[in-house]
Amino acid sequence: MEQEQSPPRVLEAYIGEYASGKSENAVNRAVELALLGRRVNLVDLDLVEPCYTLRPLKKMLEEKGITVLAWDTSELIGIGETGNILKPEARFCLRRPGDVILDIGYGAFGVQVLNLVEGAAEERDLKVYAVINIARPLTAAVTDIVEHVRSLERVDGLINNSHLGDETDLEFVQEGARVVKEAAAVLGLPVVATSVMEQLAAGIGERDWYGHQVRVLHRYLPQAFW
Amino acid sequence: MGEKPIRGEQKTFMTGNEAVAWAALAAGAEIMYGYPITPQNEIMQYWTRLAPKYEKRFLQTEDELSAGFTTVGGVLAGRRAFTATAGPGNVLMQEPMSMAEAMRIPTVVIVQQRGGPSTATVIYSQQEVTLTCFGGNGEGLRVVYSTSSHQELFDYTIKAFNTAWKYRFPTFVLADGYQAKMRESLVIYDPQEKGIAMVPTEAYVGKAGAPGEDRAPAHLRNTYNIEEELVEVLEESIKEYDQMAPQITEYEEFNTENADVLLIAHGIVFRSVAMAARELTAEGLKVGYFRPITLRPFPQEELRRAAAKAKRLLVVESAYGQLLKLVKENLYGMDVPIETYLRPGVGITPEEVVTRAKTILGEEE
Repeated sequence: MEQEQSPPRVLEAYIGEYASGKSENAVNRAVELALLGRRVNLVDLDLVEPCYTLRPLKKMLEEKGITVLAWDTSELIGIGETGNILKPEARFCLRRPGDVILDIGYGAFGVQVLNLVEGAAEERDLKVYAVINIARPLTAAVTDIVEHVRSLERVDGLINNSHLGDETDLEFVQEGARVVKEAAAVLGLPVVATSVMEQLAAGIGERDWYGHQVRVLHRYLPQAFW
Repeated sequence: MGEKPIRGEQKTFMTGNEAVAWAALAAGAEIMYGYPITPQNEIMQYWTRLAPKYEKRFLQTEDELSAGFTTVGGVLAGRRAFTATAGPGNVLMQEPMSMAEAMRIPTVVIVQQRGGPSTATVIYSQQEVTLTCFGGNGEGLRVVYSTSSHQELFDYTIKAFNTAWKYRFPTFVLADGYQAKMRESLVIYDPQEKGIAMVPTEAYVGKAGAPGEDRAPAHLRNTYNIEEELVEVLEESIKEYDQMAPQITEYEEFNTENADVLLIAHGIVFRSVAMAARELTAEGLKVGYFRPITLRPFPQEELRRAAAKAKRLLVVESAYGQLLKLVKENLYGMDVPIETYLRPGVGITPEEVVTRAKTILGEEE
């Protein structure tokens, strides 16, 4: 009874090509949900470079009320390069109350890292979103995106995150939306959103040119040193 | 021939490692030899992803010694070949690169500096300056370009192949873990379409004709049994290196006229220094900068000219005095005071440079 009254849990995993914007989209989604007063867990599942992207942002995100499942700098002192391991809480993150946003790191095994998360295979409400930036040459064209997303094995939707950093303009975001829409049609997947940095948000509104929901991104990742 | 990897100019957003892989493709590199080490892994990763599509090749060797020697072998066979490494891998790479120096083999090596000594961190430093410039058991007859942005990583990787093949000295592109991993936009292009001709490659061995009759013999040596012969060969190479130096030396400078403080930095730290210099100048302070782009050969005359007009110098680097050593050597005999901001293995922000420069300016008053 109590469960039915509470809003449904948001369970989302962000995956994609290296440097496609997975972490930025995951962090922004976590902040967005936290601002709605929801209980949010943000999980660092990057096994290749664990803790490098989220670690510098951890304190700031915790101050926003988000539970960040990522290593602290102090927890890593005394451990060498080969001492990087999955944070134990991350394995059981889906059992935590509240929303769970997973930032899946890059690596040869991509979405397979979800195999390490208890209950991920059975959890039907868990959505895996592939973040796509057409400024990245390996996901620039429809055929490249289709091939890339198929290689990820489990994807429930695409996010158009096309940008050129500080040099992004709306024309480029629109071209990204068009290309991602076409790829999504081939794949039979929905386009979940177009992400756009806050400086450009006023010029686009709540829906993009093709009716996709718009997510406004504040760029947190430049605060990380890499 | 596979299809051309890049047509026209393409604005992209990527990591520095990817920029290197695309630049090598654009430069017509035919094979990469390598052994994995962070933070250069994605150069290999992207090269191996792109290679089959463009009929390029890759060989993963058992270590960096082998990666270096196979690169030398590839070049001997006339291939535009390269490798990439970092940290302890760069240490192992020194023996094959000494051989390349000895035999004047145009190898290209991309170095993404990480923390040292030894395995240290996988992350970042500028602690491989001395190693990359002078790491072999020889005289450092090599070219080292120090980049500071993704555009430069792309441009100078292409340039490195041409410098190497034109002058026949091993050539290094020296970047770091931050440049390797951070993301920014750049324009990738086909060099030929931009009017940059790639210097043709040729096989050192297996040439047609009878050696000594139809052509000079390919008498490639890295060993001599008498010292008089060695010194003769080295003197010839040193002479050619010195003749090449003014043609390839590169640097950048700003506000060098009568600077109260002249900031000196290279690589990614130069970006912080440039921001600091502009900020301090906007505040009405007399602060300039000098950035060597080639660390080998070093822009000696240009630095001496700038230093002669400065009240004092501030050397800023993510190492404990490796750029400083180059600066001191090249300013020998001058009496301009040298201050330092040395932070081995960690990044340096523009704010830190501003604070340090202001402290120095304050001390002066």
